[in-house]
Amino acid sequence: MSESTSAFALSVLGLSALMTDFMGDRVPLPDGVRDVLPVEAAELSALETTLTGVFSSFGYREVRTPLIEFSDVVDRGQDQGIGRAYRMFDDQGRVLVLRPDLTIPIARLIATRMADEPGPVRVSYAARAVRPPSAGTGQGAERRQVGIELAGAGGAEDDAEIIAALAAALQAAGLEQPQVAIGSVALVDAVLDAVDADQDARDALWGALQGRSMVAWANETRRVRRARGRLGALLAELPNLRGGGELLTRIAKIAPAAAAECARLLHTLDLVAAYGAPTPMIDLGVVRDWNYYSGVVIEAYAPGASAPVAVGGRYDALGARFGRPRPAVGVAVTLDLLHHAVGVPEGREPRGVLVVGGSDTRVTAAAMLRATGIPVVGVLAAYAGPEEFARTQGLRYVARPMKSGWKVVDVTDGVATRIASLEEGPWI
Amino acid sequence: MDLTICVPRGALFDESLEALKAAGLPIDPLLNLGRKLIVKCPDGPTYITTRPTDVPVYVESGAADLGIVGRDVLLERQPDVYELLDLGFGACRMVWATMAGDDPAPAAIERFGVVRVASKYVNVAEAWFESTGRKAEIVKVNGSVELAPLVGLADGIVDLVATGKTLRENGLVEREQIFDSSARLIANRVSHKLEAAAVDDLVRRFAEHAR
Repeated sequence: MSESTSAFALSVLGLSALMTDFMGDRVPLPDGVRDVLPVEAAELSALETTLTGVFSSFGYREVRTPLIEFSDVVDRGQDQGIGRAYRMFDDQGRVLVLRPDLTIPIARLIATRMADEPGPVRVSYAARAVRPPSAGTGQGAERRQVGIELAGAGGAEDDAEIIAALAAALQAAGLEQPQVAIGSVALVDAVLDAVDADQDARDALWGALQGRSMVAWANETRRVRRARGRLGALLAELPNLRGGGELLTRIAKIAPAAAAECARLLHTLDLVAAYGAPTPMIDLGVVRDWNYYSGVVIEAYAPGASAPVAVGGRYDALGARFGRPRPAVGVAVTLDLLHHAVGVPEGREPRGVLVVGGSDTRVTAAAMLRATGIPVVGVLAAYAGPEEFARTQGLRYVARPMKSGWKVVDVTDGVATRIASLEEGPWI
Repeated sequence: MDLTICVPRGALFDESLEALKAAGLPIDPLLNLGRKLIVKCPDGPTYITTRPTDVPVYVESGAADLGIVGRDVLLERQPDVYELLDLGFGACRMVWATMAGDDPAPAAIERFGVVRVASKYVNVAEAWFESTGRKAEIVKVNGSVELAPLVGLADGIVDLVATGKTLRENGLVEREQIFDSSARLIANRVSHKLEAAAVDDLVRRFAEHAR
């Protein structure tokens, strides 16, 4: 067949068959969601266990909220409602929502189910929030989050505890120097008070901050007429300001209206240092997308994660929207981002035994090994290539029955040994 | 410096180099790029060069720490990045343009309830007509947008113009100005914090020469 003929044949027969193969019989998943396979699931579980372990050592007890809630209840969490979310009807025509955020349901839980607890209330959660993905951002619809919330006295002590617990959890998860940045919604508001910004200016400036546009912020500040001199300069560069305590001292001098917030943040820094946690960076450009935040806002970063691995802050007014005002602060680690940042975990080598001929003939030995936490899997005697199968299953040894005793192959290095019984194998 | 900077190929490329140079960064490896897409400067940043519309993708994902990109691309793609600085060059404007003579858009709205718009900027076009109370049917085209109204594919176009020469040559006139655009310096959310000192230093140096 000449080349042109074969190309022709391909276009008529082969290519159309190929097109059917990969375009035709598809088994799609909705945008932004994915399955988690064994290796990833094991790593995510290990991370989750580490984080919840640290949080529980700080006294945070796990709670769980439902996957679906009434839309109008969750919408109370935001001034203009929660915006984009997966919504559906129940059998009575009421609108339900798949929880798009975990802080709002936890705030509802604390304000209702735990309303009688004198507090402070410390709760943790490990759950998934679901939000329709925005096209092109690469952000998934599902967010696995492990978080803590502290509804207490509302002081800097609580803020510091949350920051310290977060840093400890991230360190335990394998981030050596977690970089935490804190900003303050209250401090920005205090500076806006100091320049007497009207509501339009405030809306525009907050819009610029939430859009992370320093350019829009700078343009909008030029319209605030009272912002002159040193105060004007401070306002213009506010979201660009970052550093340590000295920055807060400087702001307090220029804008006395913000002095109380500056003092509070300084106190928070001191308290975090007392925990022995890395000092957070002050960054006044840090804001959160949810507008229920009212005080300190927290973000944590790690190399290898394209967005902050943890986010949170203080939301004093949220409890009142569910009937029980109580100042609260919290933070949540996004598990998938942390997973990207921590790299391949060490010390999780393959373990366990694949028993050729089935483990049912050696029930006692298999049960004993399983009881000590060693996975035992049986495979039919006729199975071709049990070593390769063991590798794909994350098992380290293949044990074959011999006339007397067993031949054991370590699939990681191919070394074979002979043992008399399964009870005395190299896995013990 | 270990920063990776994403530089747009095309219209903004030459002025981007000037801005980088003015900020004190080495640009020699970028001058004879050929087909190379990535170059590392000794004692300097790593540069990657991409299509202008891809710059926010690289920066948002963290593949680049910083990027230079037109405001038009930012408004169209709405990436979650920090917009740090208006670099001042690459000035142009996003406009709604239709054929010269009688503007066909009001008649289209009146008779058909919808105006047909051809654009590369689908989101911008949609938001503009929505915010001005008109229903638009957006046709996504990837180049030579001016052709669409000439052959009846659309009533007009939403596109970026610098001098307006291409519009005039194709018998189109600017009816509405949507926004002004210029080149912006953007940063990845995480790099902005983890490389705070290096980023702030660079922003200061860019700012000194930007205006």
